[in-house]
Amino acid sequence: MERKIKIFSSKQERLIEYTVPIEHGMVVLDAVIYVLEHFDSSISARWNCKAGRCGSCGAEINGIPSLMCKTRLDSINGDIEVVPMKVFPNVKDLVVDPTDTWRIKKAMPNFKISEMVISKSSGITATKNITLYEYDVTRAQEFKKCIECFLCLDSCHAIRVHKSAYIGPMHVAKAASLDMNPLDSLDRRDFLDKNGIRFCNVTKCCTEVCPAKIKITDNAIIPEKERINDKKII
Amino acid sequence: MKKTRNIIKAMLPPEFRSIRFFSFLFLMALAFVALLIFRIPKYKGYIDPFYSPTILILPAIALFRLTCYAFRKSYNRHVFTHPMACIVSSSNDLNKNYTGESSYVFRIENLHRYFMYFSVLILPFFYYDAYVSFAYNFSLIRLGSILLLADAIILSLYVFSCHSVRNLIGGNKDCFSCMKFSISRKKIFDLQSFLNEHHEFFAWFSLAFIIFIDLFIRAMIAFHFDIILLHI
Repeated sequence: MERKIKIFSSKQERLIEYTVPIEHGMVVLDAVIYVLEHFDSSISARWNCKAGRCGSCGAEINGIPSLMCKTRLDSINGDIEVVPMKVFPNVKDLVVDPTDTWRIKKAMPNFKISEMVISKSSGITATKNITLYEYDVTRAQEFKKCIECFLCLDSCHAIRVHKSAYIGPMHVAKAASLDMNPLDSLDRRDFLDKNGIRFCNVTKCCTEVCPAKIKITDNAIIPEKERINDKKII
Repeated sequence: MKKTRNIIKAMLPPEFRSIRFFSFLFLMALAFVALLIFRIPKYKGYIDPFYSPTILILPAIALFRLTCYAFRKSYNRHVFTHPMACIVSSSNDLNKNYTGESSYVFRIENLHRYFMYFSVLILPFFYYDAYVSFAYNFSLIRLGSILLLADAIILSLYVFSCHSVRNLIGGNKDCFSCMKFSISRKKIFDLQSFLNEHHEFFAWFSLAFIIFIDLFIRAMIAFHFDIILLHI
């Protein structure tokens, strides 16, 4: 059996069609690698673990941001279109440049340990012996599952319309994981409010595309919005 | 005609310049007027949930539902088309004027917690209605009474699974072990989080159920029947 796969070429600025023989259980990344080996060795695509853990093979498959290694060919009807993520500047073919995300991560207030757990005796600063209970950290730990594939940023329509005015779901989840940490002393509400969390209108597209199955909207964005409302309601 | 339309368009905030919004508004207004005109009396102990306690509080309930995070997802997708679906397309499917909560019109969505308090105050009336329908004749168990009780339970599940309740009972705290009754508070928070996962289902199901009961009671009045399940 054969399937048609269209891959974006940045040189020709259009989709180029290839016909790939398929086997049972093949994923889109397999088809792209087949094209790379048999038709055009100049195609650029990032991939690494092929198990949905490294988060480097993100692309838009038939318009839906997804990992190429986790999208089976038999889950798609008709032709397969593979296009790079549109929110980031394109480098070549399927490779994009997500440098901006690191800039936002650096701008975010970093983890600062609470004064309560620091003991200053005889000029030496050390952390006290404290007990962290499991039920305190489970909420913040959910966001540690993030594999930084940037699919949520690509699916976010608020970023598509308002560009850099909104930092994006991934960074809100990061801020939430720091905010919900019981040992953290900082408050990132002002940072999020300044960086456009109000542009988000909770349509849950980021939750739908997340390959790590993090409930970004329900567990990060909405709690952060509610915390902002605690401080400043209108 | 075209000129007046343009003037009206220019007067409106940019978010509302779509036919979908006006059809939505028209249907809401139509439903409210219909409920106001076609009032139904108490029938064999059944009180219609739309008239419990009075139809005049309906706008407050409507505001609670309109500012609810579950319904916001639906109407942002289907009324304001921002976005219609999660597909990233190159075509112009987005309503470019829409700015989410940052626009002053939509800041009202942040008042959800106050509408939630009001809805909690309304809840006992639904239980009272169920009690009245059981008390009409204690020796009978009727389908309508059971439906009214189920409606009250589903509505309570909907209200208490709200995201604002989640913030109130522990979402705004970082550290549970630093508080009194830490483990029980965390247990309540976990239970509420479990309900919260199904908030969207409760939201739509309670809305559909309340309309179904309204139609059921109207049918009982129109055809003078009552379904008795059990004689005690």
